[in-house]
Amino acid sequence: MNSLIRLLAGLCLLLAAQGAAGPAGAADLAPLVRMLGAGGFDGTERAVAGMAEAGEPAAVPVLEALLAGDLHVRKPEGDVVVARRQGAEMALTDPLSGASLGTAAPAVVDKIRINNSLRRSIRAAIGSLTLMSPDPRIRLNAAHAVFKSRDAAALETLDTALGRETDASVKQAMAEARASVILASASAPEEQKLAAIDTLGERGDREVLSLLTGLSRDAAAPAALKQRAASVVTDIEQRMLFWDALQNLWYGLSLGSVLLLAAIGLAVTFGVMGVINMAHGEMVMLGAYSTFVVQEVFRAYAPQAFDLSLLVALPVAFAVAAGVGLAIEWTVIRKLYGRPLETLLATWGISLALQQAVRSIFGPNNREVGAPSWMSGAFELGGLSITYGRLWIVVFSLAVFALLVVALRRTWFGLTIRAVTQNRPMAAAMGMRTPRVDAMAFALGSGVAGLAGVALSQIDNVSPNLGQAYIIDSFMVVVFGGVGNIWGTLVGALALGTVNKLLEPYAGAVLGKIFVLVLIILFIQRRPRGLFALRGRAVEA
Amino acid sequence: MRMVLPGGLDRSKLVLPILLLAAAVYVPVAVLLIPEGSPFALSVHSAGLFGKYLCYALLALALDLVWGYCGILSLGHGAFFALGGYAMGMYLMRQIGPRGVYGHPVLPDFMVFLNWQELPWYWYGFNHFPFAALMVLLVPGLLAFAFGWFAFRSRVTGVYLSIITQALTFALLLAFFRNDMGFGGNNGLTDFKEILGFELQAPGTRAALFAATALALALCYLLAAWVVSSKAGKVMTALRDAESRVRFLGYDVERYKLFAWTLSAMMAGLAGALYVPQVGIINPGEFAPAASIEAVIWVAVGGRGTLTGAVIGAVMVNFGKSWFTSAMPEFWLFALGGLFVLVTLYLPRGVLGLVSDLWSRAESHRRRRPDDVPQASP
Amino acid sequence: MESLLYLDGVTVSFDGFKALNGLSLVLQPGEMRAVIGPNGAGKTTMMDVITGKTRPQSGTVLFDGGTDLTKLRENDIATLGIGRKFQRPTVFEHLSVWDNLELALKAPRGPFSTLMWKAAAEHRARINEILAVIRLGDRRDRLAGGLSHGEKQWLEIGMLLAQEPRLLLVDEPVAGMTDAETEQTAALLRDVAETRSVVVVEHDMHFVRALGVKVTCLHEGSVLAEGSLDSVSANQQVIDVYLGR
Repeated sequence: MNSLIRLLAGLCLLLAAQGAAGPAGAADLAPLVRMLGAGGFDGTERAVAGMAEAGEPAAVPVLEALLAGDLHVRKPEGDVVVARRQGAEMALTDPLSGASLGTAAPAVVDKIRINNSLRRSIRAAIGSLTLMSPDPRIRLNAAHAVFKSRDAAALETLDTALGRETDASVKQAMAEARASVILASASAPEEQKLAAIDTLGERGDREVLSLLTGLSRDAAAPAALKQRAASVVTDIEQRMLFWDALQNLWYGLSLGSVLLLAAIGLAVTFGVMGVINMAHGEMVMLGAYSTFVVQEVFRAYAPQAFDLSLLVALPVAFAVAAGVGLAIEWTVIRKLYGRPLETLLATWGISLALQQAVRSIFGPNNREVGAPSWMSGAFELGGLSITYGRLWIVVFSLAVFALLVVALRRTWFGLTIRAVTQNRPMAAAMGMRTPRVDAMAFALGSGVAGLAGVALSQIDNVSPNLGQAYIIDSFMVVVFGGVGNIWGTLVGALALGTVNKLLEPYAGAVLGKIFVLVLIILFIQRRPRGLFALRGRAVEA
Repeated sequence: MRMVLPGGLDRSKLVLPILLLAAAVYVPVAVLLIPEGSPFALSVHSAGLFGKYLCYALLALALDLVWGYCGILSLGHGAFFALGGYAMGMYLMRQIGPRGVYGHPVLPDFMVFLNWQELPWYWYGFNHFPFAALMVLLVPGLLAFAFGWFAFRSRVTGVYLSIITQALTFALLLAFFRNDMGFGGNNGLTDFKEILGFELQAPGTRAALFAATALALALCYLLAAWVVSSKAGKVMTALRDAESRVRFLGYDVERYKLFAWTLSAMMAGLAGALYVPQVGIINPGEFAPAASIEAVIWVAVGGRGTLTGAVIGAVMVNFGKSWFTSAMPEFWLFALGGLFVLVTLYLPRGVLGLVSDLWSRAESHRRRRPDDVPQASP
Repeated sequence: MESLLYLDGVTVSFDGFKALNGLSLVLQPGEMRAVIGPNGAGKTTMMDVITGKTRPQSGTVLFDGGTDLTKLRENDIATLGIGRKFQRPTVFEHLSVWDNLELALKAPRGPFSTLMWKAAAEHRARINEILAVIRLGDRRDRLAGGLSHGEKQWLEIGMLLAQEPRLLLVDEPVAGMTDAETEQTAALLRDVAETRSVVVVEHDMHFVRALGVKVTCLHEGSVLAEGSLDSVSANQQVIDVYLGR
């Protein structure tokens, strides 16, 4: 019982500290606290009743101390303090604020005595202050605390509270707490226990699972009880399996969207130009560093608008990466046209130089990129826990993808890109300036990589090696999805992300990844041109 | 252009092996017999450094065999190098015996540290040098054969093949980082004591290792030269330039690629095995995709498709790397990156190609002068 | 007499587009056949199917009476004795003319046989003979990449001769040739056809006339007309197709 009350008291303190009511309530309670030490048992009784009536949660730790026999009256002031032995002295604290009041000799303080009837009153008062508090949050937390402690002494108060409760979710929590208490009590009749099992079964979380699993294996428990518990355990396990699978699916989707972001720019450059850009990862890295720089500017000049920094970083990152991409296309890639392997090597060289350049400018260590407030936190959806950061990245990557699809499908620029992708000589013959289309496509692909960098800066370390971590995965996605088909990239990214995350619980993160790599190697060998390959004679030429 | 003889080894192919042979004799003498202070003396340290360069040269030679002659750009040859290295490392680990930090008679230190009770089965046999030496060739060879069998059969070519070779070495990198794999995880295999009963740190052993490396490189060079100058080598060159045409001539292109690929992987494994005792460690870093790509640039710098070029390129670039990383480390990646770009843009045939171009230009100039008759250029 | 090449109901489609649509063609041993047809009629796809580059969705392709070509790979088909000359001359540019012919020469094709191979006197004699026929004797040690367009065409024909195929598929052999070269090529092909079967795909009607053989006209993936050049060119459907209706 004591442990329960301490728990409840702790919770209330926490809540009292959170709410602004703390100090004001404490002031109202002070006379009542003083009353505790005056007038013998009757005076104490009246003070406890008064506290229960005041409904102030801050009184709970005081009552708890009283119950524990820690509450003393200090002479000669006559004020009430918490006194605990500390060596030869007594350490004194204020019962309401918890502030230290120094030490005193044991003779200076008198213990406030309580009898059994007083003890009941105190417990009832604590119960009504928590389980019957006007604040539903406090009631809910109190119910959760009872659920965990399974303390039979709380049953009476719980029943009263349950009768009065109006809030459905709190009522639910109380019913569950009651069920948990009943299941633990030795005296409750079997049918009540069976009903309790059902109530708990509906809650169906990990705690209930371990509780009921224990019961179903308890040799001393009656057979009917064990059987019911076992069947509920099976139910819960299935439900959990379902939610776990859903959660993994979400992680997979989230990983997939990261892969999509990293790969989608590559799908444009590789798809349109057949150019392997090994510096693609560095474009992502540049995007992340652009975010860092933009945030530094915000921190210096407009800290109050920090939440907007990511939005400003998007166009900056796009421009930086697209500009660098354009420069690379003009100076190097253009000259290596039709020599894909040489292009691969040259762009690898560029990626090394870019990494070193960033390392020289920004230093080799990770740079701190902050998250705006709208990207922090998490929420629950059924049995799923979803962080806002991940959610935004999924939304963002799908948005980038949609924009790209629209740009390719609906604009003249997109039309020329698609024409060059499908039949370069024919496009050239029709008067399209393929070198310019190449340059624009490369800039677009690089710019999109820059956008990816903004998003990745939120979930990964912003270091000169950032791009390296993504380059192989990006290639896997593009090749798996099928070159020259950005829908293939979407499917490839989501599929690889999901498979990776679904494998992880069984194989572990590293083995799962190795497994996926091996799968892709095997897959490419079965379908060298990916999931959604362009077919026809033109492609084979 | 020099006359191309049908079949048989050209005498010019003997220059490099003879130089290597000379080095294999000279370096041990210079290290062990010539007193310090003499201009002909060599420190043990430099012998080790040169030995390392020659291991890289052997890796480059292997790479050139597939890239220069078959047109297969492998971005994962480091995997075969590292596997050969690990096989040798396992032998060296077993040689430590009870002299490890924990003094366990059989288990290497890292296994004792991980509370392993007995030796995993794949460590059996590595206490015998001949077995380890066989594995040095067999493990990379088998992996390459299996990989190549699938890849070439399904006609994965060009950049696709390059990308999956990179995925291969990346997967191995991840795997070897795992402690449960039983290869020392992150730290790899190190603290070697002796090889074939000789103290690894002793100058004599170091000199002998250098000589062995030089000899191995010379032999592999001759083997590669023989292969590429044979009719099979011509088939390889032909399939590099026009793969489907070779098929329509009736050649099973896949079998040629598989042959060259497997041979190359075994050479790379040998290079790794010679490398490990000289640098004293093998860790998963050797599997890093970046390391494999770096090896490609050695070949490109020297001159792709000329075996001598691969060897020269590897030695040159690594010499440059040693100099840069000690003199101005922050510029090394700029230099290496610039090298990739410059070589692919302006030196498609590498240094050797440049030299031979200059040479033939000078030659034709000299020949032209007497009568001044312009020749139709081919 | 048993047919050398037998195609029946061969259909190939790329993403819905039917490159070949129920094509049927029969070639007798020693026969030479010219295949004509407008662009996109399926001439090159037909060659791809015969040489194993493209697998048909349906239909029968038999060689020499019973060998099912749709089950074999390109190199196996080539070793059966089917040689192919591409539209664009493809020779091995980084090998000498001699090496090009040596590679084509009929001999064991496995990697270990070629590794150990040494040209015997008879092989050298045969290569010299072919060099004389294709008039590249004085260029034997030149790299093939340095040859002129016409010389490359001839080298490729020489390689086909060295291969000693029983069936020769020739795709537009005179494209980009002068009139004189065209005449010589026609004569060469007629010589070749005395000992083996030849299928020639060609646009050049003068060349087809110079060959003087049976003509098959393809259109939209199937046979439109077959017979002598005169009867085919008199066919109303053929005229419609060529004139664009």
